[in-house]
Amino acid sequence: MGFEPKIVGFLCSYCAFKASEMAGSLRLQYPEGVKVIRVPCSSRVDPSHVLKALFEGADGVFVAGCHPGECHFIKGNYYTRRRIYALKELLRTVGLEGRVKLFWVSASEARRFVEKVTEMVEEIRKLGRNPLKGG
Amino acid sequence: MQGSRRPFLCSEPGQELIKRAVLEHKLDRVVVAACTPSMHEETFRRVLEETPLNPYFLRQVGIREHVSWVGQDKERNTQKAIGIIRGGIYSSLHLKPLEQKFIPVERSALILGGGIAGISASLSLSKVGIKTYLVEKSGELGGMARRLSALWPSMRRGEEVMAPLIEELISRDNVEVFLNSRVLAFDGFAGGFQARIETPEGEREIKVGGAIIAIGFTPFDPSIKGELLYGRDERIITTLEFEEGFGEGFFAKPSGRVAIIHCVGSRDEQIGRPYCSRICCINAAKTAARIKTAYPEARVEVFYMDVRAHPRGGEEFFEEVQRRGVYYTRANVAEIYPRPQGVVLRGEDTLLGEVFEREFDLVILSIGMDPPEDAEEIARIFKISLGEDGFFQEAHIKLRPFDTVRKGIYIAGSCAGPKDATDALLQGRAAATKLFSLLASGRVAVDPLKAEVQEERCSGCRLCERVCPAEAIVFDPSRGTVTVNEMACSGCGLCGSICPSSAITLRGYTDPILAEEVSGMMEGEGGV
Repeated sequence: MGFEPKIVGFLCSYCAFKASEMAGSLRLQYPEGVKVIRVPCSSRVDPSHVLKALFEGADGVFVAGCHPGECHFIKGNYYTRRRIYALKELLRTVGLEGRVKLFWVSASEARRFVEKVTEMVEEIRKLGRNPLKGG
Repeated sequence: MQGSRRPFLCSEPGQELIKRAVLEHKLDRVVVAACTPSMHEETFRRVLEETPLNPYFLRQVGIREHVSWVGQDKERNTQKAIGIIRGGIYSSLHLKPLEQKFIPVERSALILGGGIAGISASLSLSKVGIKTYLVEKSGELGGMARRLSALWPSMRRGEEVMAPLIEELISRDNVEVFLNSRVLAFDGFAGGFQARIETPEGEREIKVGGAIIAIGFTPFDPSIKGELLYGRDERIITTLEFEEGFGEGFFAKPSGRVAIIHCVGSRDEQIGRPYCSRICCINAAKTAARIKTAYPEARVEVFYMDVRAHPRGGEEFFEEVQRRGVYYTRANVAEIYPRPQGVVLRGEDTLLGEVFEREFDLVILSIGMDPPEDAEEIARIFKISLGEDGFFQEAHIKLRPFDTVRKGIYIAGSCAGPKDATDALLQGRAAATKLFSLLASGRVAVDPLKAEVQEERCSGCRLCERVCPAEAIVFDPSRGTVTVNEMACSGCGLCGSICPSSAITLRGYTDPILAEEVSGMMEGEGGV
C-alpha cells in the first residue's frame, strides 16, 4: 500500500486557488502528491488539458471552481460543469472512471479545499494506479 | 539555463540578482520559484521592466503555500517542488511578450458602513478631493460607537463624539450618503469598478475607483452560553445593554451587588470563538468604574481569566479601578442560577483552586465581538475572503493589513478583526490613505492577459461569441471572423476552451502553456 497517488488540480484563480493559498498560510496539511495549476477561471480548463495530465501519468485530475452562482465571470463554472460531466462519461468508456473530479471551493474555504483533495487522494488510492501507465 | 538560490528574492538584493542575471547571461525567460504567485508576481514583473526583457517573460511558481507549508515529508516536498519548477520552466518557453496598457482611474470611492471606521475613511477621502459614496444599511450614521454612553478613556458619550464627525461629513459637497441601502453588485477592476446600490429611492449605478469595507461587528449573543442564564433572567445583562441604560434599578441601593464577567464570547474554543475581543477587559473595568462613581457603596466584583488592558493608559486604568475598591477574582464561571433575592455565580477561583458561590443583584456579561452578520454576503459580492474566525481577511497581516486579495478593495475597523473605537477610527484613515494612493496615481494598468484571435484559424463559427460572459467578442461579417474588445474582455479564457479550431486563446494561459506545465509536473511519472 505504498502507493502515493499523483494528482493534478486546475484551480480557479478567484476561489479555489485563493483557498489553496490560505490553506498554506494556515499550514493545513494535505498529501504531497497533489500539484496545482492556476487558471483564471475553471472554464479555461479544456478537456484536453485533463486528458493530457492523465496521459502524462497523473492518477487523478481535479478541477476546482467557484460555487454555482458565484463565478467571478458570471457563468464560467456552469460550462465547466457540463464539460467535465461529458468528459467523465467519455472516461468511463475507456476505464478511467473516477479519476476526474470537479468540486466547488470558495476563496474562504481553505479547510474545504484540503478536505476535498485529501478525500480524493484516498479515493484514488483505493482505485489504484492510472492503468495507462502500464506495469 | 541559469539557476540561483536565494532567500527573499523579492527584497532589494534579490531583485538586483535577477536583473544582473538577465543582463549577464542574456536570459530570455525568468522562472521564480518562491511564495504563491499572487503575492509577488507583480514585484518580479517590475524587476523585469528594468531589464531589456519583456515583463511577461516571467513565470512564478509557488513552492511555499503550495508545497513546504502544506506537506510534511521533506523528501516528497522536494520532489513535488522539482516537478512544479519543471512545469514553470517548460511552460515559460511558450510565453509571449505582452504590452501593458493604462487607463485613467475613476477618482471616487465607495465606503460600505457608516460607523466610526467608515465615517473616518469617508472624511479622509473627501478632504483630499475624492468623491465619496457612503452606503449604510441602517437608518442612521454613527454605528456602534454612537450607542455607547461612555467611550473610554474620555468617558464622553458616543453620541457626543460622533455627532461632530457626522455633521462634518454630511456637510461636505463631495460626499453622498445612502442610508437604509445596500450594495447589490460590485464588478470591474481597481480604478474602474461599477457598483449597484439598492436605496429606498430605487437602484443606483455608480462608478468608483475603489472601495473600503467597514461594516463593523455583531455583538456576541450570550444566550448561546445557556449556563449563563442570559435572556431568561432580567438580572443578567450585557455590557452593551448597560451602556444603553439597562440594569440600573437592580443595584441602585446602598448594598447593591454587581458581578462583571470577562471573556463572554471570547477566548472560548467550545463555542468557536478562540480569539480575544480586545475590548472586553477595558469594557469591564469601565463598567465597574462607572458603577463605583455613581454608587460608591456598591460591591462590584470582576471575574476574569486574564487582564489584557493593552491600549495606552489601560493598565493604569485597571490599577485605578482596583484602588477604587473593585474586587478582581481570577475565575472560571461555570454557571449562574436564580434565587428570589439574587442570582448566584458558581465557579472555580483559579488562583485559590477553590469552588465558590456568590450572590449578586445584577450580573453584567462583558461580551466579545462576532463577525458582522452579513460578512459572508459582502465577501461574496466583493469577492474578497474571510479568515478562519469569520472576519475579513487582510492580504498580509504586517505588510498589507488593509488590503484584501482584490486590488482596490480595502478593509477597516472591527469587520477586519475585533478592535476598539480608537483603532477602528485609525484604520478607517489608514485604509483611506491606501485607497487614495491608488486613486491619486491617476491611471491603472490594464491586464494584458486578454483573449486574442488568430484570424487565419478562425472559421467564424461564433461559438465563442455566444458563450462570452463579458460580451467582448464581436463577429465581423466583412472578414468572416471574430474580434475581441479588449477593454470589455474579463480574461476568463472560456472562449479558448470552447473554440474547435484553437483560433481564440487567452494570453498567458494558452494551450501550450497549460500543456507544458502539466508535462513538466508529470515528467518521470510513466505516462504514455
